[in-house]
Amino acid sequence: MSRQTRVAWGFLAPGLLLFAVYRLYPLLEGLRLSFTNARLGRPTQQWIGLANYARLLDDTRFQVSLWNTGFYTVASTLPILAVPLALALMLNRGRLRTLLRSVFFFPFTLSVVTVGLAWLWLLDPVVGPFNYYLRALGAPARSWLADPHTAMGAIICTTVWWVTGYYLMVYLAGLQEIPRELYEAAALDGASGGRAFWAITLPLLRPVLLFVVVTHVIGSFQLFGQVFVLTGGGPGDATRTVVQHLYETAFQNFFQFGAASAMAWVLFAVILAFSLLQFRLLRGHTEY
Amino acid sequence: MSGHDNGVAGVNRSAGAAPGTRRARVSRRAFVAGAGAASVAAWARRAPAQPKATITYWNGLTGADGKVMDELIDQFTRDSGIRIEQQRLPWADLYAKLQVAVPAGEGPDLALIHTVEVPHFASDGVLEVIDDATAAAKGFRGEDYLPATWQGGTFQGKRYSLPLDVPQHILYMNVKVMKDAGLTGSDGRPRVPASRDELVTMAKRIATKADTFGFAIGTVAPGRYTWGFHNLLWQNGANVYGPDLKKAGVAEPAALEVAEFWAALDGQLKIAPPANANCRDAFIAGKLGMWIAGSWNFTGLREAKVEFVAVPVPRLFKQAVVWAMPHQYTFPKAKAADRAKRDAAWAHVRWMTEHVAEWTLKAGQVSASRKAHSDPRVTADPVLRALLAQAPNWQVGQPTPKWVAAENLTRPAIEAVYTGQKPAKAAMEDLARQINALPD
Repeated sequence: MSRQTRVAWGFLAPGLLLFAVYRLYPLLEGLRLSFTNARLGRPTQQWIGLANYARLLDDTRFQVSLWNTGFYTVASTLPILAVPLALALMLNRGRLRTLLRSVFFFPFTLSVVTVGLAWLWLLDPVVGPFNYYLRALGAPARSWLADPHTAMGAIICTTVWWVTGYYLMVYLAGLQEIPRELYEAAALDGASGGRAFWAITLPLLRPVLLFVVVTHVIGSFQLFGQVFVLTGGGPGDATRTVVQHLYETAFQNFFQFGAASAMAWVLFAVILAFSLLQFRLLRGHTEY
Repeated sequence: MSGHDNGVAGVNRSAGAAPGTRRARVSRRAFVAGAGAASVAAWARRAPAQPKATITYWNGLTGADGKVMDELIDQFTRDSGIRIEQQRLPWADLYAKLQVAVPAGEGPDLALIHTVEVPHFASDGVLEVIDDATAAAKGFRGEDYLPATWQGGTFQGKRYSLPLDVPQHILYMNVKVMKDAGLTGSDGRPRVPASRDELVTMAKRIATKADTFGFAIGTVAPGRYTWGFHNLLWQNGANVYGPDLKKAGVAEPAALEVAEFWAALDGQLKIAPPANANCRDAFIAGKLGMWIAGSWNFTGLREAKVEFVAVPVPRLFKQAVVWAMPHQYTFPKAKAADRAKRDAAWAHVRWMTEHVAEWTLKAGQVSASRKAHSDPRVTADPVLRALLAQAPNWQVGQPTPKWVAAENLTRPAIEAVYTGQKPAKAAMEDLARQINALPD
């Protein structure tokens, strides 16, 4: 090994050590636990092979939570793509843009619990302002978070409100990168604003759009905070997500670490599959 | 004159004194020696004969009762010299943390937990056994406590905890709402329902007013309020587990009858708020007439200046059982025994037991020990009187390590019933299957 290589390993060692201790070891320990009947507090555990994974095939609540997580991911992707993009196009130029950017970014500075509690109050069926104004307008009040038909929609709206500011900044950075000459040339050719958007803005924002989709999809599969605060997975199991089910199995329902680890690895496999698919989509389209 | 005074004189000397004043001439060596002696003497005066322990105490008193506990702990520290470092977090997080921290030797010296947590912590070896002789030597005897609370500290014949107080349900009635619905007597006090039918009739009358609800059970999110559901189960002679504590009892006919009533509250009868409503806010806002909720709410209602009366939970099914969940003091296992810390923890539990009347008055929680029940300050309070009046009807969760896990499974099941997502029978049968599938 050359001196240069040894020095390189020396510099890498602290980082690798931390990675091994805090990332790799827990990951592999989780994999091992998933093949056992480990329960926190019990000194012994038996190797049970694939039993925890097989149990997931019969666990209807896990399947419901997987379906809910998938539904949330799909249903929230379009508004997460469109709302911040529309705002970015409006705030790319013009007066008050700095102030408005700050205003839209503000919710993202709040913790998920703060956001959840605020929306819990806003949507409260009895004393919440939303229903108050609905009644004032003569419309019937609704229990947004207690109705299985609207609960997931309310969670998506809350999430969009919360993260729009972040994606707005990402889009604005992407818009700033598009050369202005392209728009000038299009204008000389008589292209309308709409035509310029479809022919210039959208194609050149493609890498940014893909970045937004990838990060949002990965985040969506790990959805927990909003659901935990707003609905607790309810009504019934209507908004229960995989991470919530996993958390409750591990830390509330008898500390079943083995079963929860199996769920975590299934979730990991799903996220990995989606990520690979998206990397495939990204390849070859990252430059303009 | 102390050595310290000498030192000051020495300083003054160099600064120069007024003519005619007496100057003390002190050498540098004498100054240093004097200062050292002064420091030692001052330290000796301040230091107690034996250093007092500092103990760690975990609890979930995150509401107004936490502030009361802080005040009492300050008073305890002043009285005893023992310092207490509290860690306060939501109950569910506290229990998860105890389960993880204690086996790792990172647990607290003292913890406050709910009675239903005792069996699983005990069976997992998280809690120290308290032998009867030690408890008696420290002044704790069963006859000083109400039976349900004292018994709740045991699991499989061994004692693991000592009760502090008894959070429990009570029926609150909003005087204005009841008056508006014509449900008050000639003395202006709200009428108290004597049966389920009467409660439903009265609640329907209240609910004829727009956006007003007649009855609710639970503080927030009544649809998933397991403690309320348990209360009704117990009133109907049903329970989460059968008598053998092995097989679920939630699909038995008596439990199904309760589940049907649960479904009707916001469904067929239309007397209760939606599943996720904040019943406390609705009660304060004058949108809820009769409200079965925890005793811990009444101090907050007084602060909110709501005109209300509190009466014992009425008999809605076969028996007038009242849900109760005593808080229990426990000593989590430590890796290495520390006698001084354990004694300090005992001293605090003893002190709190002696001052429990203050806890009852300020935090609104009835004490588990009988001593405070005859305190004139306690008996003068109408709500505390109502809480004590229902003491013979208190019931606590079943002593099985699976109780809490079964309760967690119950939450979404009863919410699905409350919101009409699932028929009561199907939901309860599904819940029974899930409870029976819990691992040993």
